[in-house]
Amino acid sequence: MSVVVVGAGIAGTAAALAASRAGARVTVVDGGAGASVLWTGGIDGEALVSDEAQSVAAVLDVLLGDCTLVTSTGLRRPARGRDAALLDAAMGPVGVVRCDRPGWDADLVARAAGDAFVAIDCTVLRHTDERVLPDADFAARHDDEARLVWLAERLREGLARAGLRVHALLLPPSLGIERARADALSKLVGVPCGEATAMPGGPPGLRFERARQRALSGVTVLRARATGVERAVGRWRLHVEDQDLDADAVVVAAGGLVGGGLEYQPSEAMLAAALPPTARHAFRCTVDGPLPLGAHGRPLALPGSLFGVAPESLAWPLGRDGNATMDRVGILCDEHGRVAPGLYAVGEIVADAPRTWLAALDSGARAGADAARDVVRAPGVPGARPASAGEAPASRP
Amino acid sequence: MVPVLEEPAPSLRPAPAVMSVAEGSLPADEYDVAVVGGGVNGTGVARDLALRGLRVVLFERHDLAFGASGNSSGMIHGGVRYLSRSPHVTESSCRDSGYIQHIAPHLLFRMPFLMPIKSGLKGRIAIELIDAYFRAYDDYQPLKHGQPHCRLDASDLARLEPGLTGSLVGGITFDEWGIDGARLCTLNALDAIEHGARVHTHTTIEKVTKAPEGSEGGRYVVDGRDLITQQRVRARAHVVVNATGAWSPITAGLGGLPQARVRVRPGKGIHVVLDRRLTNYGILSEAIDGRQIFLEPWQNVSILGTTDDDYYGDLDDVRATSEEVRYLVQGVARVFPSVRTARAIGTYAGVRPTLYAYGRNEDALSREHEVVDHAGDGAPGVYSMIGGKLASYRIFSQELSDLVATREFDVSTPCATHTRPLPGGEHVPDALSLAEEHEMTPVASRRLVYRHGARALRVLERAERRPAELDVVCPCEPVTEAEVRHVVQHELARTVDDVARRTRLGYGACGGMRCAARCGQIVAQERGLPPAEGFAMARAFVERQASTRIVAMGPEQARQEALTMAHLRASLGVES
Repeated sequence: MSVVVVGAGIAGTAAALAASRAGARVTVVDGGAGASVLWTGGIDGEALVSDEAQSVAAVLDVLLGDCTLVTSTGLRRPARGRDAALLDAAMGPVGVVRCDRPGWDADLVARAAGDAFVAIDCTVLRHTDERVLPDADFAARHDDEARLVWLAERLREGLARAGLRVHALLLPPSLGIERARADALSKLVGVPCGEATAMPGGPPGLRFERARQRALSGVTVLRARATGVERAVGRWRLHVEDQDLDADAVVVAAGGLVGGGLEYQPSEAMLAAALPPTARHAFRCTVDGPLPLGAHGRPLALPGSLFGVAPESLAWPLGRDGNATMDRVGILCDEHGRVAPGLYAVGEIVADAPRTWLAALDSGARAGADAARDVVRAPGVPGARPASAGEAPASRP
Repeated sequence: MVPVLEEPAPSLRPAPAVMSVAEGSLPADEYDVAVVGGGVNGTGVARDLALRGLRVVLFERHDLAFGASGNSSGMIHGGVRYLSRSPHVTESSCRDSGYIQHIAPHLLFRMPFLMPIKSGLKGRIAIELIDAYFRAYDDYQPLKHGQPHCRLDASDLARLEPGLTGSLVGGITFDEWGIDGARLCTLNALDAIEHGARVHTHTTIEKVTKAPEGSEGGRYVVDGRDLITQQRVRARAHVVVNATGAWSPITAGLGGLPQARVRVRPGKGIHVVLDRRLTNYGILSEAIDGRQIFLEPWQNVSILGTTDDDYYGDLDDVRATSEEVRYLVQGVARVFPSVRTARAIGTYAGVRPTLYAYGRNEDALSREHEVVDHAGDGAPGVYSMIGGKLASYRIFSQELSDLVATREFDVSTPCATHTRPLPGGEHVPDALSLAEEHEMTPVASRRLVYRHGARALRVLERAERRPAELDVVCPCEPVTEAEVRHVVQHELARTVDDVARRTRLGYGACGGMRCAARCGQIVAQERGLPPAEGFAMARAFVERQASTRIVAMGPEQARQEALTMAHLRASLGVES
């Protein structure tokens, strides 16, 4: 008897961790890369797995820390919970390290980021191919301890040559994949070091993947796509490609449009043929089941046109008016993520939820703990252990 | 008749109080001719008159090629549709196409079109008629260096364009030439500047008044305001040319002239941009209402066009709607079904300044042009250019310039716009050897040469001084940092939008997501603005691109769009 989590992004991982720490047997169904893996912000992967951060509250503290981050375009802004900055660039002069890689112009970043930022010359590249290596591959090279020591020496040399006293050093997105190397490098250099946040597909997403791997080491992970969920007698049955999984509770954390949990399917494809066979809404949840879609607190209604809704009416590029439907569509559920007893929706797939790391983490962790309690309450489950914080994750059966 | 221009004309929008304070003190620069409008006709006239030695000033409310000129189908065609009614129009169109190829050889690319014809009795008759029609058109092809038409049978069609479906009796090919309209305007403006003209972009005209009797200088005072700096600009000129396309009646009103004299029938045309060259040839097809529409491979993308609908909206903000996109996709998908699954990366829309006529269907309207002399309205020396099309800009400019030069200035210097190359058109450097020399990718160097011709060497020269400038800012197109800086310094680009119009930066598959922020930074740096303004420009650009994309968005793209939004919120600091 167990909890099945659909999705292995930030919300799914949080739900799986919380449920398994509460003593439930957890299976995660992972359908592939989504928003978390493609994320561009600087979430610190260690926060998900370190002992101190095991409780959700601790993670929230880490994320809510009042810090500023800098993007590789030189924009400075406060970290808003979705992405903890690796560098608190809020105060003091910051050295921006020059590095001959495409998309990184230290002078422009320094100028754009403000007066406190100065570009400095340091040797950062060790091999010529590193000029053109993708960010993530370049970052991976700094997982090597010896390489990090080498880099620290170069940075110290550069600082000495420039004769500058800096409060912190900002590097291009390059610091490690397996482990967050900002702290290690900072200790070696003696000055806080960090990297700018950058494009999707950069180091932060990969870092999340690696952290997740470690965090879910005690949990069964099934690499497959969930296609449907239905009520079976006293439990839930999840259809996963060619098999079914039975569970006491199901947490749907399949992601929104980016994650692939939601699909947008306009009727344009039908245009050359006759009329579409049936009128339908442009959005669909990829997990079939009692998961009602809606936006702004109301269920989706059928469009009045056989060719579907006009895209401009449901999406405003940046959601400035706060009314963009495309950004709001998702599963309707109560504030605890409960759709039906034992069925939860968390993360970006929830209607009207803020699309941030913090919200996904929070909703995932709470629903995971609730789901574990459902297992305890489920009839005929003598083996289910009571929830207790801090207990080691349940091992694989 | 209105006793024109003695009093300041009522402006469309109430003028701020500050204006009247500054009124008398503003120094006016002296010119022979003031041209209003930076489209292809305005820049064409400015160049023509500047080449004849006249002092010209040009005002453009937005950016060069902001309106119809920059949002056309991108073709210099030979006017094949006029062949039956007025063959002389076809002849002059073809001859002019030849001239434009001569003055800007780097900017034109050959674009053969394929007209598939459905089988059946109607089709068999149609192909004979069309074949005969194009045989007549072939006589004019040498004028524009085109190939004679070909008649193809069904198997030829299948071989040349495997994506074509349906039961086809055959098809006809004919040759046209593609061009980047925005570059054409820029080059005309640049050449005008190099011959002494002054060009103010992002400068709106607030009013045109008659100069006080007996005062020194030109007959008219043109008052403008720079919409970016809010600074006022004043020019005095002997002649004023209104070349503002669909805006013409509004502009005429600012000079106190009766708007009905320059009446146009604004016709909105939209295009859908698909992410790659889908076909080998331009494909003609019929829309549901029988109108001819097309799919053409154009530069790095494919373009689906076009509509022609009366337009009553805001000319400063013309957008394609999903209805119009569906109309085009449906029409082309009948002969080329895979267009339905192709990735649309955006749309663009413009408004044609068609000559006014009531009670006629949009397609039946004349595409001819007309010079309106406002002497009869009490404003001698004020002319309006209405109608016309991209392909006829040079001849239209010449007509007006001949008139102005001889009548108003007694200048008999002949027109030189058909013999003197546009900037960069003197010769076309070999892109491949440039690529080798400068260690850039052949794609980047080819695109650079396409846009700048011989002036590509200037861009590369600056990159030699600072090799880091060969960094690619926009990977889709690709555009290097050196080129961005070049267009800001030498081609009147003042915003990210302007850079995009000149370089196609951000017009690729990513919609500016990968390049706008960096471009904004560079523009801000070049113009000495705070970086925050650079980001604001980038944000405005990306938002605008996204709104043109969303109307043509398919399911896979919706996913990517959501990621784009998330990324933008992160990197440009937009609150969610």
